[in-house]
Amino acid sequence: MLGEERRAEHEGALTEPASGRLVSPDIRDEFGLETIDMNMGPQHPAMHGLLRLILELDGETVVRCDPVMGYLHRSKEKISENRMYPAVIPITDRIDYMHNIAMEYGYCLAVEELLDVEIPPRADAIRALMNEFGRIMSHIPSIGFLLLELGAFTPILYAFRERERIQNIFEAVTGARMMFHYIRIGGLKADLPEGMPETMWSYIEGLEKRLQPDFVDLIEGNEIFISRTRGIGKITQEKAVEMGLTGVPLRCTGVEFDVRKHYPYGWYENLDFDVITDEAGDVEASYRVRMGEVRQSIRMIKQILENLPEGEVLGDLGRRLRPNEGDGIARVESARGEYAVHVVSDGSDTPYRVHYRTPCTVNMQLLQEIVPGHYLPDIMPIMGLIDPVSGAWDK
Amino acid sequence: MQTVLNLLEVEPIRLLVSFGAVLFLVLNLAAVLTMAERKVSGYIHLRFGPNRVGPRGLLQPAADVFKLFTKENVSPGRSDLWVFLGAPIAMFIPAALVWLVVPFAPDAVVADLNVAILFFVAITSIGALGVVMAGYGSRSAFSLLGALRGAAQMISYEVPLILSLLGVVMLTGSLSLVDVVQAQGDTIWTWYFLPQLPMFVTFYIAGLAEVKRVPFDLPEGESEIVGGYMIEYSGMTWALIQAAEFASMAVISAVTVTLFVGGWQPPLPFLDLGPFNWVWFGIKTALIMFTFQWIRWSVPRLRMDQLMDLGWKVLVPVTLIWLFVTAGAMLVF
Repeated sequence: MLGEERRAEHEGALTEPASGRLVSPDIRDEFGLETIDMNMGPQHPAMHGLLRLILELDGETVVRCDPVMGYLHRSKEKISENRMYPAVIPITDRIDYMHNIAMEYGYCLAVEELLDVEIPPRADAIRALMNEFGRIMSHIPSIGFLLLELGAFTPILYAFRERERIQNIFEAVTGARMMFHYIRIGGLKADLPEGMPETMWSYIEGLEKRLQPDFVDLIEGNEIFISRTRGIGKITQEKAVEMGLTGVPLRCTGVEFDVRKHYPYGWYENLDFDVITDEAGDVEASYRVRMGEVRQSIRMIKQILENLPEGEVLGDLGRRLRPNEGDGIARVESARGEYAVHVVSDGSDTPYRVHYRTPCTVNMQLLQEIVPGHYLPDIMPIMGLIDPVSGAWDK
Repeated sequence: MQTVLNLLEVEPIRLLVSFGAVLFLVLNLAAVLTMAERKVSGYIHLRFGPNRVGPRGLLQPAADVFKLFTKENVSPGRSDLWVFLGAPIAMFIPAALVWLVVPFAPDAVVADLNVAILFFVAITSIGALGVVMAGYGSRSAFSLLGALRGAAQMISYEVPLILSLLGVVMLTGSLSLVDVVQAQGDTIWTWYFLPQLPMFVTFYIAGLAEVKRVPFDLPEGESEIVGGYMIEYSGMTWALIQAAEFASMAVISAVTVTLFVGGWQPPLPFLDLGPFNWVWFGIKTALIMFTFQWIRWSVPRLRMDQLMDLGWKVLVPVTLIWLFVTAGAMLVF
């Protein structure tokens, strides 16, 4: 219990329509109404990973919601300080395990800035290619999870079928299905296997065809889906900017910001794509933005596959990396928002300090702000809007 | 042999034996329905469903029951034990009792009550009691929320459920389910679902809510209150709750068929199977149950306020209006 002061603060922060549902504390006291305290998580089957929510409920209405993080803390930043530069990459894989190729990408970019090395163009293109596959692999299950949280069980299985197929591609390319360790400092672990571009092309064509019947037709027109998501978890543009949100929660309020577009890195300069935004800023808008981004990723993958440069994929950096003193920063757009890595070197072969700025940690603040005033069943769709990954918020 | 058959003509013995038969049917139906549910969901999800135990996985329910029997019954430390253990029974018995008045065929009904519809309405209302007992006895915030939702939902949807029955009662002029079926005739266009279409749809929706199936499975709400009132149950107590759910789903389908879709009557006169007309009843009930499962695996769940809105602001007015229309039509024709 954080006390009356905290509750008053929350109630003051509510937007108009949401606060209309709350019984005011005076009336509650006058009639002797009591609120229930409820613990949701950390072991909750529908929670995204290990998150604990301390809820105060007035009937079905949430009065207070305090997220408690830290149940999956694995001290990745500290571990990173004790390993040699290339050996940190597998650690980054485990941060955001849904879109882990971007986690490797960010770290390698930061170290490359520190080392000031050139990346072979083919390696750059394949990095972007796999990164976009990773985004599809993360966004489609996110949509499935959102529907699962609303109580529809089927879309998640369709989503995981797509994820499975992309995982097969990843397995062929990187040798692993989840923890890839594919992007290396200065390039890539290996070139694409023979015939892989054709396989990717046919998969992408198939996915484009399947998106409409398997996802859009099943989800979008559904009356119950609309009534459960429209106007739920509404964020205003000012609020989103003020809280430092990035990724889908920011773009679904109408702010056009995408690191790939505005601070392009690697191969993204050469790609033609749109930043998907939506005005509504609610759960339904986040679904639309995710769906749009999947389509944009398909578009990007096609562009990369159409003119894939030839050449080497790994530059020669020597056996032991000892960067000069200094620091390197890289920011990339992961499926959840802006992911930044700061690597500080003291001249030895291990980093002096590595900091991972994960979007989930920042976006999760939303829960405290927008959940109070909603009904208990709305918490899960709001989690679907933010779509956090517990490996990423705890690090 | 003859003496045994003669014994059946003694009313109390006939009642006991036929109720035993119906109970046997209901318990097995629950097992068959779990299997059907998993197979249907499998086909909708583009996967196989259970296919390991026995031919095509058909022995899966038997394996499930065996597993559940061998499991320990865990009860929460501070639970109200009598209420906790009584709840599954309080849920199962009403679901099984309704079968007493459902006519399978002209002569195959355990008790041809002249107030069968009233009996059905009265007995189904008791189901809410079991839900509240389970939620209260478990002593958990999640269970309590589930139980409160369950009670509110089942009591609210009782109203449209009963109102939508009234049209049929007015047309038949009888509360006996056998009379209702006989009045519908043996052609598909004389069945009540056509003249009473809004009532049929309302009854179907209210029935869905009454048996807590998706999109009205709020008392379970597995993504927010993780199973609701049944969260603390395990082993056979849990199995009994499941059996009660499936039995009540089957009974709602059977009553829907009896009231609106002609019961045992064949869709066209030449399809009359004589003594085997219960096959028609079985086919129609299975079809209705299949639509329940189809909906179950296709749509998301409603929210409590939306559920109440649908019940009180849409279903109740629709039924009331259609009652007046029916009454007016009966006056005119």
